[in-house]
Amino acid sequence: MSALRGEARVALAICRKDALAELRGRHATVSTLFFAAVVLLLFGFALGPDSARLAAAAPGLLWLAVVFAGILAMGRLHLLETDDGALEQLALYPVARRAIYAGKALAGFVAMLLLALLVLGAVGVLFAVDVASAWAPLLATTVLGALGVAAVGTFYAGVTVRLRAREVMLPLLMLPVLAPLLLGAVKATSVALAGDPFGELGAWLQLMLAFDVVMTVAGAATYGFLLED
Amino acid sequence: MAHHLRPQTSMPQTTIYVSPRSLGAPDSRPPAVVTTDLARLFAGSPALAGVSLQIQAGLTVALLGPNGAGKTTLLRLLATAIRPSYGRAEVDGLDVDREAHLVRSRVAYLSHATGLYDDLTARENLQFAAAMLATPDAAERVERALADVGLTDRAADRVRDFSAGMRRRLALGRILLGNASLVLLDEPYAALDADGLGLVDQLLAAWREVGVTVLVASHAADRLHALVDGGVVLDRGLVAGVEGRGVTSVPPNLPAERRPSPTRVAS
Amino acid sequence: MKTRILGIVALAAVALATYVALAVVPADLNQGDAQRIMYPHVASAWLAYLSFGVTALAGIGWLWRRDLRFDSVAVAGAEIGVIFTAFAIWGGMMWGRPIWGVYWQWEDPRLTTTALLLALYVGYLLLRRLTDDPDRRATRAAIVGIVAAVDIPIVHFSVEWWRGLHQTATIASPDRVLNPAAPMVFVGTLLGMVAALTLAWAYLMIRRYQLAEAELGREERARIERLVSSRPITTSGEVAR
Repeated sequence: MSALRGEARVALAICRKDALAELRGRHATVSTLFFAAVVLLLFGFALGPDSARLAAAAPGLLWLAVVFAGILAMGRLHLLETDDGALEQLALYPVARRAIYAGKALAGFVAMLLLALLVLGAVGVLFAVDVASAWAPLLATTVLGALGVAAVGTFYAGVTVRLRAREVMLPLLMLPVLAPLLLGAVKATSVALAGDPFGELGAWLQLMLAFDVVMTVAGAATYGFLLED
Repeated sequence: MAHHLRPQTSMPQTTIYVSPRSLGAPDSRPPAVVTTDLARLFAGSPALAGVSLQIQAGLTVALLGPNGAGKTTLLRLLATAIRPSYGRAEVDGLDVDREAHLVRSRVAYLSHATGLYDDLTARENLQFAAAMLATPDAAERVERALADVGLTDRAADRVRDFSAGMRRRLALGRILLGNASLVLLDEPYAALDADGLGLVDQLLAAWREVGVTVLVASHAADRLHALVDGGVVLDRGLVAGVEGRGVTSVPPNLPAERRPSPTRVAS
Repeated sequence: MKTRILGIVALAAVALATYVALAVVPADLNQGDAQRIMYPHVASAWLAYLSFGVTALAGIGWLWRRDLRFDSVAVAGAEIGVIFTAFAIWGGMMWGRPIWGVYWQWEDPRLTTTALLLALYVGYLLLRRLTDDPDRRATRAAIVGIVAAVDIPIVHFSVEWWRGLHQTATIASPDRVLNPAAPMVFVGTLLGMVAALTLAWAYLMIRRYQLAEAELGREERARIERLVSSRPITTSGEVAR
């Protein structure tokens, strides 16, 4: 049991280090948020100006913006490990590999949750969607969605960080895998906003939860192999 | 459990924390490093082509040779940063491939890259390292390490603003946070000013005194001469020769008819 | 030699099965001749999933045993799998066009899942191309293959649920054929096609595996030659320069 506590401590230390580095690093966090906002704006131009159509499309646009900005955010969290061989040094500490994954995924989750909540608010404003009416299920959806993107993104960011063409490989690898999460999140969001007339919300949230659990376990189990050379 | 000893030198004192494993006369302990036909290939070409060495515990050994000889590769293999392509290596009797996680808790490695986070301060970098190393009394140890490498006055500055020499010193400070029984240094003198060079000399003396095994790769053979017990020379991925005491080598594993008998260089 | 026999048998089986599917088995009452493509389409889809499973398992084998032969199996599975996946999608589209009037139907779970499978395969193969060192390539490919394989069942279920809300029967399903009421000739033709294509798959896998091993073999021999020192050793143990 104390071994697990030690791992948790390591994961928290890594999460704290990531948060500190991100907050200090040349305002990149803010840039990612603005990117999401710009994406939403462009969706408005591409699909508008019919506000009914935009309101109907809002759940999809919300999660697409989150996923696209999420690719950038998750990529950045591993990019900071390229500081003078930091990732190699990280691999040399006598810590469990899955604790390293957990720490970075936790930092990713916090970033994604923040991002998703802000995008949710922006979507409410831009596409005239009443997010406040269904705030509880929307919050649950957002938490599960952020968790999924963080779990998958941390893994693939680790895979691609030392590759050439990593900027295109990260989305190329991440996006197909995220398809079921995207599907579930959009469905859950639109069902929640409609007041859940057929009682399907539970099923979609369960799908997202299953995705999150499976992907986190798979990521934690295989991330360690990335750290050996 | 850790003991801490303050070596008596004329320079400002350094605190080295050692584990009980490092105590005891060198001859009484099992060899710190044993490699058998150790080889490592990168994209098909051998950086290390079959090295069989034994390094006695508690001694300081220099690793010499021209660029590309395989010094860095050997250190990285022992640090478990990379896996062997052929052969095996053991640190304190632990296989670097199969028991890597155990090896990591006994080895400290200073590489060319410092592995420091640019956006964190010196102190924060060491605090993170202390969390990773599970250093006891972390806050106090971090301050002591900063003092030992002479970076206390810059502790709150971001590493981004540090010179290469200061980064090196901070990386050495990170080593002081652990209690490694084997310290691997790759070109420790590079990019250091006079104070920094003195610090490395002092650390080498301190480690030697407390019985930590040290393997130093360096071009500065003449500077190291007085500080080491023995040396091994690498050339093109193979052992070209050994000197002094504490190191023995066996030529690479060749087909039986070409295999000479192992040699031991007299101390 | 045995492989060549397998190849000939596979070719004959595929030819026979194709003939049966095109000429012997009666056309579907509702869909007419267009339905005939279901046989190779379904068989290909099955082999696409099988290939992916093989790739993922071979990846686990590499991580466990560090034997590069596992990686050769993995790359064979991925490349042959891409072929069958692409064919399955093409077949699905060809089937759909006369039935639906359009090439693509989002409500068809098999079509969308197979398209995603193709995306996962392509990502896997591109990743392999970007790494030169065989060991590193094998490790990266293995973990990506495993995570992708773990994703497939989730994709399958999620797309099924997605479609389920629209209550539109899936055209591209063998359910219409594989039920107790269906005449044996339909079931028999489908199973025959599956068997024939599986033989072809096995032949292609073996050949691709041999090719991968040959490529590695060349590198491996060069490695060993370089490792075994050809320089003379003096009696004191020093290597002469």
